Amino acid sequence: MGHTSLEKIIALQKKTPHIRNLCILAHVDHGKTTLADCLVASNGIISSRLAGKLRYLDSREDEQIRGITMKSSAISLHYTTGNEYLINLIDSPGHVDFSSEVSTAVRLCDGAIVVVDAVEGVCPQTQVVLRQAWLENIRPVLVINKIDRLIVELKLTSQEAYTHLQKILEQVNAVTGSLFTSKVLEERAEKDAEAQSSCTENGSGDQVYDWSAGLEETDDSDLYFSPDRGNVVFASAIDGWGFSIHQFAEMYSQKMGIRSSVLLKTLWGDFYLNAKAKKIMKGAQSKGKKPLFVQLVLDNIWSMYDAVVTRRDKEKVEKMVTSLGLKVMSRDLRHSDPKVLLSAICSQWLPVSQAVLSMVCEKLPSPAEISAERVEKLMSVGARRFDSLPEQTQELKKAFLDCSADETAPVIVFVSKMFAVDSKALPQNKQRPLTQEEIAQRREQARQRHAERQAANQSAESPGSADTGGMEVTGDQQLLEALSVKTAVEEDNKEHFVAFARVYSGVLRKGQKVFVLGPKYDPSLALRALPEGCSAADVLPSVPHMACCTVDSLYLLMGRELEELDEVPTGNVLGIGGMEEFILKSATISTSPSCPPFTPLNFEATPIVRVAVEPKHPSEMPKLVRGMRLLNQADPCAEVLIQETGEHVLVTAGEVHLQRCLDDLRERFAKIEISASKPIIPFRETVIRPPKVDMVNEDMGKQQKVAVIHQVKEEQTKYPEGVQVDSTGLVTLTTPNKMATVGVRAIPLPEEVTRLLEDNVELIRTMEQFSLFAWEDKTLDINQKILENIQEFKVKLESNLQGRKWRGAVERIWAFGPRRCGPNILLNSVEGYRRPSVWQCLEREKETEKAEIRDFDNSIASGFQLATLSGPMCEEPLMGVCFSVETWDMKLSAPLAQQDSIDEDSQTAEPNIDNQNESSDTHETNASSASSNRSRSGAEAAGSSVDCYGPFSGQLIAAMKEACRYAFQAKPQRLMAAMYTCEIMATAEVLGRVYAVLSKREGRVLQEEMKEGTDMFIIKAVLPVAESFGFADEIRKRTSGLASPQLVFSHWEVISSDPFWVPTTEEEYLHFGEKADSSNQALKYMNAVRRRKGLYVEEKIVEHAEKQRTLSKNK
Amino acid sequence: MSIFTPTNQIRLTNVAVVRMKKGGKRFEIACYKNKVMSWRSGAEKDLDEVLQTNTVFVNVSKGQVAKKDDLSSAFGTEDLTEICKQILAKGELQVSDRERQSQLEQMFRDIATIVAEKCVNPETKRPYTVSLIERAMKDIHFSVKANKSTKQQALEVIKQLQQSIQIQRAHMRLRFVLPARDGKRLKEKLRPLIKTVENEDFDEQLEMVCLIDPGCFRDIDELIRCETKGKGTLERFSTLSEDV
Repeated sequence: MGHTSLEKIIALQKKTPHIRNLCILAHVDHGKTTLADCLVASNGIISSRLAGKLRYLDSREDEQIRGITMKSSAISLHYTTGNEYLINLIDSPGHVDFSSEVSTAVRLCDGAIVVVDAVEGVCPQTQVVLRQAWLENIRPVLVINKIDRLIVELKLTSQEAYTHLQKILEQVNAVTGSLFTSKVLEERAEKDAEAQSSCTENGSGDQVYDWSAGLEETDDSDLYFSPDRGNVVFASAIDGWGFSIHQFAEMYSQKMGIRSSVLLKTLWGDFYLNAKAKKIMKGAQSKGKKPLFVQLVLDNIWSMYDAVVTRRDKEKVEKMVTSLGLKVMSRDLRHSDPKVLLSAICSQWLPVSQAVLSMVCEKLPSPAEISAERVEKLMSVGARRFDSLPEQTQELKKAFLDCSADETAPVIVFVSKMFAVDSKALPQNKQRPLTQEEIAQRREQARQRHAERQAANQSAESPGSADTGGMEVTGDQQLLEALSVKTAVEEDNKEHFVAFARVYSGVLRKGQKVFVLGPKYDPSLALRALPEGCSAADVLPSVPHMACCTVDSLYLLMGRELEELDEVPTGNVLGIGGMEEFILKSATISTSPSCPPFTPLNFEATPIVRVAVEPKHPSEMPKLVRGMRLLNQADPCAEVLIQETGEHVLVTAGEVHLQRCLDDLRERFAKIEISASKPIIPFRETVIRPPKVDMVNEDMGKQQKVAVIHQVKEEQTKYPEGVQVDSTGLVTLTTPNKMATVGVRAIPLPEEVTRLLEDNVELIRTMEQFSLFAWEDKTLDINQKILENIQEFKVKLESNLQGRKWRGAVERIWAFGPRRCGPNILLNSVEGYRRPSVWQCLEREKETEKAEIRDFDNSIASGFQLATLSGPMCEEPLMGVCFSVETWDMKLSAPLAQQDSIDEDSQTAEPNIDNQNESSDTHETNASSASSNRSRSGAEAAGSSVDCYGPFSGQLIAAMKEACRYAFQAKPQRLMAAMYTCEIMATAEVLGRVYAVLSKREGRVLQEEMKEGTDMFIIKAVLPVAESFGFADEIRKRTSGLASPQLVFSHWEVISSDPFWVPTTEEEYLHFGEKADSSNQALKYMNAVRRRKGLYVEEKIVEHAEKQRTLSKNK
Repeated sequence: MSIFTPTNQIRLTNVAVVRMKKGGKRFEIACYKNKVMSWRSGAEKDLDEVLQTNTVFVNVSKGQVAKKDDLSSAFGTEDLTEICKQILAKGELQVSDRERQSQLEQMFRDIATIVAEKCVNPETKRPYTVSLIERAMKDIHFSVKANKSTKQQALEVIKQLQQSIQIQRAHMRLRFVLPARDGKRLKEKLRPLIKTVENEDFDEQLEMVCLIDPGCFRDIDELIRCETKGKGTLERFSTLSEDV
């Protein structure tokens, strides 16, 4: 079997019915890459001796080191059995972290080889890949691998092995069966729903209950794996053998004179050979006979292993070899390692590649046989039905089904991922081996230079030239090496991206102009925008998510190597170069604008592990940013975000995936040192109503405070001079120049109100904008819809703010904060102060009574904004707090007021902003003249009084901010933590461990239910974001991958414990002791944040004075 | 090699002395190391964890106890605990190693936080993270000075950092209204100080919204105040980087 030439493959690419696109899927370490090695070896690309050891398709260094595959890679193989076939093989990773790579591989294939370990049986990932294959509608075949382990490791007898294999087959079929039933049930449910709706429409009362659930009607027999169907191969890829029932059936039909079709049916199953009657009988098990499979197949293999590996019986081996008609080299026979001999025999007797490839060619469909169902599924994005697509698009279905390589057929290509390739690996830049003359020439040059240098050396130091003779040869070599290294370095080491793609229709040519359609592209939009019958070569108006480009270069993917091609006909897997600017991760390429984008890949694993990435040297930030952009493009599953805080967050599917992404960043994309750390976790601060019970659930009111000492000390330190706090939490504060006094009270907002404010940020922003425009006597047009929404929002607020305390509160809202649209409210409770409400956009039509705005209104609001932006606990934003301004006295001398009011000029000068509708012209002139008057009078005053505390508006802002902070502290304060909702799918046996992990991380289970038709449980829980770092990994480890969580941010939740809590009552003293050094979750979070920000943390430097090291170092 | 015998050398171990002069006399108390600062900040509430003994000395290392008369004349009380508390609160002390270390660390982080708050990466217009700033500060070998305010040092750091990384003060958004007469003249003077003009309106008076470097605020404020003789007004919207 020689190396297949490129020309041969190109010729084969044109014969669509003889192409097989397939991928190898399995659980991690079940031998996918080893099997791929065997298949690659059959084509002479690698030596068959190295097959299984080399792992040819694992081309990355870390793949080789870790021994797991991390990316899917393709290779084209040539196989001949009467017909010539081209096999495009894609090897995929088995580790759960890389299941996105599996998705990209599965999409491009028509069939899949599912590999199962004969010892381990069906594993979690096996189930996952079976489901993936199922969802993509591709046909699987089964390879039961590592049968040698049954013999050598487990030491099973052939009979036991048979039952074991049967069990595995049953397991696999059970998974397929459950997929099938769930699909049927789903369809059934849909049908029922439709029927029901039609029933209600028709009004017909009688319903027919059908218990059969449709399972019986649907034929599922062709789904299952069974050796007698020929879709199962038993193999040991490491030893290089594999067989299907067919091979043995043929073999024995000649030997025993039984028809091969009979043997085929009976070789697997409960049949035995009755030697006397020369008949094959049923019921081997009940009669205690050896089944046919054991007798004819397994026993032979077992005896072979026995002879070669266990007993090393030379004579017997020779006998076997001659009887099988094989030729084994004497070198192999003499080899000390029996495995070498074994594989030498087996690879000739039952070559695994032969078994697998013939099965593949027979059982898996060619690209031309693509099913209409699959086409529709590929073409209809999301929930859209196929029928709803534009007509031209529906016509393309025919092109899919025809799969013709005609000139006229539209080109349809799907790109499932982009992968980065070193420019060195590209065929254009590949170094050609040097010819003999070139080498000679270079050597000559090198020698000359060497001689020159030596001459120079010698003239410098004449003695000591004794050992230069020996040096010469090595020096020469070094020089040669250096030369070649240099040429390599000189190559532009930019990363090139190659698109991993498949042609579904037409012929893709180099230099062709095509449309690149993004995943969000909508053909109906484009069809409207583009002229009829246009092509990508024309100048076209821009359509969203569509780009035109020229195909730069086409590659044949040969594992780690690429071969350049000029054209690729339909049905082939290929690489496309030069697309990095048009394609982010996946795309559809077509010559027809009516082509719909393919359905997005369904990823089994969503990215959940978040880390913040930083360069080691801050000056290398731009490199990191560039690198992360490249990584985002190269990895289908990694996500890259830049947070508002400036963090660069990398989200990956798991720890191993993360490791790979970081390695990629370090060595390929950014080429700098980076460090990954825990991302910053946000918190919120809030106040609550005073709790009624203490920490030991005793009623608070009745008990006496014991720890008076604590109390007194705190009271003193908390409030500086000039701040008065009364028992109800009203804080009164005067500005430093004693001109103004504000009284503020903090009130917790009901939870619903907070949520309402959170949800309606956009509306609040619009309202705020309106008021801002109103200040300036302009009007902002808000459309009716938004006005209605605002009205609705207001009504909802009113309904939620019930009770005496909140009477008329909605009308009195002064501002929202922080940033003018947050979940906190500033309430105007100043007696006798009426200001225009925030709702003025609603009252535009109505003539409201005139409301005046006091001077410095803005300062109070700004103070509130600042206070809500960073709270007193750990400078995090506030949430769900209402600050009510109860008193606001100004003792201003007139000129001072005016001087400072200049700052507020724009606001104060236009007191009648509500009347903007009527006679705005005259009004404006009035207003502006008034303002100029004021400015003049203010200017006179400015010279006379200068305040040593700075401008008064600033003082008021500061005073207001401080007042809010103290008012906040006067109430029971709490920290709010961001929560994830976490959905965990787990099997029943690992349920307990899931709970253990959850409770260790302060999670709370909301509900748990069984998924219909499976043995999976779905657990819904909430988990603080602060505890989520490493959660996914831990839960996977603890449950051996049987449970996988999905985390989504859901809401903010108040942490019930008080960060400032100390035991105060007698009961608490009894329970917690005087120091209460049991861990306080809220305090822990608060201190962590404070420490990160460099704020003061109330912590003793040394806990116990006596336990210090008492001697200084030098004594 | 010096010979020393335990007998002729008195060494205080694990003792921090707090001194205070009052009424012309010097008083000292013996405290544990690394504890006095905690007491002063309120983190330590147990007096026994701070004081070695509640005796008041004239000289701790010589073991000379203060006389009762001196105490009552200086402090007006004979309650030793009360006197100790007074000395603890107001006396001078040698800051011990770990106290100093934690104080400097805290200041260092505080400076980094201030820098991160005030600055952005001019390329992305996003702030840098605190940890990145900390690393950059270490790279330029910035040392914290305990007697300067953190804010002051932060401003210095920003200047130094600009040489090693791409960093810029977040812009401040200003809005000023100038009388028409001065408008034209002032605009020319303001031009070099302004980064970008977002909005300009010139009819009866000049109204401008613009972004400036926060360092120029003082200058602009001064300029407007002097040139217009108080008639021009200046209003700042926000300095926070997220608005930029």
